[in-house]
Amino acid sequence: MKTLQIVAVAAILAAGTWARAADAPGKPMKMDEPMHGEMKKKSMKKGDVRKAAEKKERDMKPRMDREQAGGAKK
Amino acid sequence: MKTMETSLTAHSGKLIGSIERRLFLKQGLSLGALALLSGCDLTDDESVQKLLTGMSRWNDGAQAWLFNPNKLAPEFPESAITKPFPFNAFYSVDEVTLVDGKDYKLELDGLIRDKKPWTLPELYALPQTSQVTRHICVEGWSAIGKWSGVRFSDFLARIGADTKAKHIGFKCADDYYTSIDMATALHPQTLLTFRYADEILPPKYGFPMKLRIPTKLGFKNPKHIMSMFVTNEYPGGYWEDQGYNWFSGS
Repeated sequence: MKTLQIVAVAAILAAGTWARAADAPGKPMKMDEPMHGEMKKKSMKKGDVRKAAEKKERDMKPRMDREQAGGAKK
Repeated sequence: MKTMETSLTAHSGKLIGSIERRLFLKQGLSLGALALLSGCDLTDDESVQKLLTGMSRWNDGAQAWLFNPNKLAPEFPESAITKPFPFNAFYSVDEVTLVDGKDYKLELDGLIRDKKPWTLPELYALPQTSQVTRHICVEGWSAIGKWSGVRFSDFLARIGADTKAKHIGFKCADDYYTSIDMATALHPQTLLTFRYADEILPPKYGFPMKLRIPTKLGFKNPKHIMSMFVTNEYPGGYWEDQGYNWFSGS
């Protein structure tokens, strides 16, 4: 009987640890999966944000470089 | 302990009312945009998008003009805090980006006099303030939380940001990016926060820092900020570039 109780307690503790580990942050983002949340359109994937960020960087950098160069000349 | 729903019921009154009025006004403007579209070929995606983007940018200008830099968002007692405070992102909570605080440096760029990167101990050493305010999500929910950090206007003054510039942009560790107007950046309740509920921000709430703006919708409150820049060039943002309104505030 006592062995059974020990096994049950151990199983509950293990399940709790597993559940917490499953929710723990830090898993690599699955870029091909659909986005979470209500703001997205159906076709959007998590990886779209990185692609958009890279495109934005390419777009903004020359504009900001020109802006700063212009400011430096003044 | 209060659930999100009970907290909402208890505190939704005036603020939700004013948001509804703003939504009504915005929807009125959107209706105006649709009326303008009646002469267009709706199958011509590019021209429709261009027109809608133009209308949205006009809407941004109107909201910026209406923005009162001295009007404060409501603050609440700590008993009103929503527990647990909801997690929300375009990914699941187990995919939250982990930033290494030891090596972290906040990078600065653009129209800023002193672009020296800031470590976390340096940021934590700045004078801190706290606020208990309502986070309002464009998805239709809201929650009250307590954030602490440095007043953003003080930080901008310290780094010599050109506060006559139009925009401040943010790049985040989870690839998210957004930008805000300078008037909102200088608002007294806009905080660069490092703590939630008096504890260092946990990863799911945006470690190492989140810009907390109680006068704007939640997606304008970037988490995991890695760098920021000041510019007169329009930087947009991830959701903003998908058609969400850029100003998104009161």
